[in-house]
Amino acid sequence: MPSASALRLEIERALEHRFPAALTPAPKTIYEVAPTGVAPVDALLEGGLPVGAISEVTGPESSGRTSLTLAFLSRRTEGGQVCAWVDVGDAFDPESAAASGVGLKQLLWVRCRSESGFPRTKPWTRLDQALRATDLLLQAGGFAAIVLDLGDVEPAHAMRIPLATWFRFRQASDRTRCCLVVLGKTAYAQSSAAVALESTPFRPKTVGGTVWRGCTFEVRRERQRFTPQFATARKPPASVWSANTAWDRVRSA
Amino acid sequence: MSSELYACVCAVEFPAQALLRLRTDLQAQPVAVLDGPALEEIVCSLNRHAVQRGAALGMTRLEAEGIGGLQLLSRSVEVETAAHAVLLECAAKFSPRIEEVSHRTVCTLVLDITGTELLFGPPVKLAARLRDEMAAAGFRVSIAVSANFHATRIKATTTRGITIIPAGEEARVLEKLPIASLVLTEEHKETFALWGIRTLGELAALPEVELVKRLGAVASDWRTLAHGVARHTFQPIEPEFALKEFYDFETPVEQLDSLLFIGARMIDCLVARAAGRALSLASLTADMELEGRRFHHLAIHPAVPTVDRKFLLKLLQLEMGVHPPLAAVVSLTLTAEAGRSNKMQLGLFAPQTPEPSRLDVTLARLKAIVGEDRVGTPVLEDTHRPGSFRMEGFVVDAKPSTPEAKCPRMALRRVRPPHPIQVSLHAMKPVAFRDGDNRFDIVTAYGPWRTSGCWWSQDRWDTEEWDALVSSRSGEAFDCLLVQDRLRDEWWLEAFYD
Repeated sequence: MPSASALRLEIERALEHRFPAALTPAPKTIYEVAPTGVAPVDALLEGGLPVGAISEVTGPESSGRTSLTLAFLSRRTEGGQVCAWVDVGDAFDPESAAASGVGLKQLLWVRCRSESGFPRTKPWTRLDQALRATDLLLQAGGFAAIVLDLGDVEPAHAMRIPLATWFRFRQASDRTRCCLVVLGKTAYAQSSAAVALESTPFRPKTVGGTVWRGCTFEVRRERQRFTPQFATARKPPASVWSANTAWDRVRSA
Repeated sequence: MSSELYACVCAVEFPAQALLRLRTDLQAQPVAVLDGPALEEIVCSLNRHAVQRGAALGMTRLEAEGIGGLQLLSRSVEVETAAHAVLLECAAKFSPRIEEVSHRTVCTLVLDITGTELLFGPPVKLAARLRDEMAAAGFRVSIAVSANFHATRIKATTTRGITIIPAGEEARVLEKLPIASLVLTEEHKETFALWGIRTLGELAALPEVELVKRLGAVASDWRTLAHGVARHTFQPIEPEFALKEFYDFETPVEQLDSLLFIGARMIDCLVARAAGRALSLASLTADMELEGRRFHHLAIHPAVPTVDRKFLLKLLQLEMGVHPPLAAVVSLTLTAEAGRSNKMQLGLFAPQTPEPSRLDVTLARLKAIVGEDRVGTPVLEDTHRPGSFRMEGFVVDAKPSTPEAKCPRMALRRVRPPHPIQVSLHAMKPVAFRDGDNRFDIVTAYGPWRTSGCWWSQDRWDTEEWDALVSSRSGEAFDCLLVQDRLRDEWWLEAFYD
């Protein structure tokens, strides 16, 4: 009596011209992910942001993209890992980062500066500095996450970053197992990004109309390279999450 | 048979050797060192290439300049002191008991190597290793080993290369040496010349009583020395361990590359000396004397002590690039602080944290790109003033910080510097603000949240904060932090909630 494996081989051989390896499931590559620390977003991303890849968090101002990124850094610095924040617009707020739980001792902050001294002028110098700094940090290795903060740069300017740069960043982050998070108003890395999240404001939370307690945001998954997309016409999956204000922790404690 | 054993290291023409030690480009050229007051300088030391060209000790500058191709250098006490320290360091690797018997331009060290056979092998091997060690530090030395202190010293100062004197054969080895090997006065030299005594063997053959009758009691000592049986009480010195190198440039140097060329050699020496004591360099300080009696100071503090010379040189290069000397450099002093070597467990495939040495270079490069004060770790100030922080140097800390909150919080994006705005008020609440040509309506404003402090100093503040939910006529909506400076009655757009 033939064994089950022999039968399976026989059937597969018979169907080989129509279905290659009909009864053998295709091997699935397990990609390492790092949780963001926001449960709805982790559920949306099936675990978190990919390690060794570029992730983009996009959206307009007050859309929760910075809060989400800080929550992610908080989880990355939790175990003593080292992260970096490359700040094009010099907009990073250490107090907010500390309130979000980011270990500031493990955070390297690179503050780009414009030659003229006016940060709101043309961002070419700052962009150039940021790209060079990101390149250096990626090549150095050992950083668990690097945030390239293009949140204040107009899309018209940031879109001029050559695709070759993003490709190089992707290769370097893959080699050094670093999560490169690009924070921007829109997606710039295109095919080099493994994940693209679009964040939008949902509604504010208040207490009796006098104290602002926080805000609810909606996150839409625009792109996820490692997840097969079966229905292309479907609306991108989304989830809603909320962040409290820094002073609200006293009330909730 | 005596159980004592001595090794003597003799570096002849020490002023020239000290100067040429760091100048590899001049080592194959004829070089003479001049000493003395201006216009009265004479050649006090020279290398063998200079001797082959006809240069000699005691020549005046004018005579020396007449010899084609002869490089003339000025004697430097600082360079000799640094070189002497290096020589002592090298010798100290073989024995802690060292006595110095230097004379004029000859630097001579006698090492008590009794009982070191198990460590370094027989005297031949020890002498060969000692010579190689000295050669690595840039010195050409002659070495003699024997059981008698003075026989070792005399043989090393008069014979090149390595000489091993078997025990009991000191007199036979010394007999061919000239009588000038002893420290004699001119009068005694003439007397011996009249007697026809030219070698130590001839002196040793003279009857002791008759010799003392004619030349005094000191003649007995010379005779004992010639026999190789003179006794000596060893007086060891205690060399101070200081990692310092000095170089005095012949002409002021403006190019950083030229400076680093010498700096690299100096770092090599410092690293070798530290490594000899199983130590690393924890910091490196470069002090430069500039033209016009000005001084320039640079300091490098690697994240962990290291003996990687390329890495230290790169850090020095980057630091010099950020803080270049403002004039040509006349002299360079490198001082290092010793530290224990780094022990860190790194990841098997990918590093868990940035490699300290690479991180140092990366940080130095980042500082060169964005500025020194704009790279580091933010540290919150102990104050209630909103947005207060200071930048500190980034160090990979093995002990992670433990912040409190672990749930997502709304973050601010600061506007640096804060943007001035004109605010419209209604019932003491802001209802709209204007940013140049654009007008924004405030849908809801939460506040005011008043803070003040430092009223006792110039740095005082008194502000009211409003959290505003804003919409513009173009449909754009955002949340921001508006601040009223109550001292100056000004409004600022301080940050965006994001």
